[in-house]
Amino acid sequence: MKETENIFLTLINQHKAIIHKISKMYMNGAEEQRDLFQEIVLQLWKAYPTFKGNSKFTTWMYRVSLNTALIYFKKDNRKVDKTPLDENIDVIDINESAEREEKLAYLYTAVQELNVIEKALIFLFLENQSHREIAENLGISEINARVKLNRTKEKLQSIIKKNGYEF
Amino acid sequence: MNFDDIKNEWNAETPEGSNISTDMLKIKQAHTPIDKIRGKMKHEFFYQIFFLVLMAFVPYFFGFSSAMNQVFLMFYAITCGFTAYYFFKFYLFYKNSYDMSLDTRKNILWFFYEMKLNIELYKALTYIVAFIGVAFIAIYLFIEKASIFNKILAKLSSVYILLNCFITILIIGVITELWAWYYYGKYLKQVKKVVDELDYE
Repeated sequence: MKETENIFLTLINQHKAIIHKISKMYMNGAEEQRDLFQEIVLQLWKAYPTFKGNSKFTTWMYRVSLNTALIYFKKDNRKVDKTPLDENIDVIDINESAEREEKLAYLYTAVQELNVIEKALIFLFLENQSHREIAENLGISEINARVKLNRTKEKLQSIIKKNGYEF
Repeated sequence: MNFDDIKNEWNAETPEGSNISTDMLKIKQAHTPIDKIRGKMKHEFFYQIFFLVLMAFVPYFFGFSSAMNQVFLMFYAITCGFTAYYFFKFYLFYKNSYDMSLDTRKNILWFFYEMKLNIELYKALTYIVAFIGVAFIAIYLFIEKASIFNKILAKLSSVYILLNCFITILIIGVITELWAWYYYGKYLKQVKKVVDELDYE
């Protein structure tokens, strides 16, 4: 058991950026992001026996993490923490350029206006998933994935424009 | 907006943060809607057991006649039987684990129908127990308070009595539906929203 636990921890620590990014996309506020982060880790651990190694670990991780975020129910009576994005979870590398930080901060802000499925589409797209892979992850047809993704990209562009930013 | 550009920025973002430790795996409480419903149903189970134990003392509190005692025992046994059946179903629901590694559509539909089925079971049990309770009160009035009850009934028209029965059923229905919605509905609504967003063409 201890050995399984260690292997699992090594694997998710190698790919923890996936969980961080999903938490930031799905929750607006540091505390809620931390709660979702914990929930995803817990669900990954609970689902770990279902990982048979037939697919890449990251493929399995995308599915479990996204499925968790899609139906995650916020903790009751929690006040929304409006901490600015760049103070959320220790995500931003201080060596990164200010321009990149700004772009990503605007992206995360704009993404909050998308629905949960649109967030999943954009996330998988940004993670370099092909239309086929997106379709497989979401359980929809490839054509549907392509159409939905194009619509979501347009929507995201107009949100960013509306917010007075262009890149 | 250049998506290729933003993709590059996205992939260059490497969250540092502290490593995920064993402690994070020890958290017992999950927050999926189904976990929330399971948690609430577990609480209700204990309330129901307490209520059933309390019910066993009803004949002593009200000093029933021997005829009424027999009726009570029959109703009590039926209530316990139904409760046991439904709680066995809820126990299976409680123990049935979910597989988060399915594709999103399969996963979300599993959650939706599993939740819907159990909320419907919950409502069915509430209806059954409520109707058993109403039927028992009616029999109690006929046996124990026959003289007063018959006098009241004699003064009322059949239409009025039927109307009252109908209103009673309606009130039980409305309370059950509202209670189930208030207690569990928000979770179902959230999952239904995701199903709709996924199905939207």
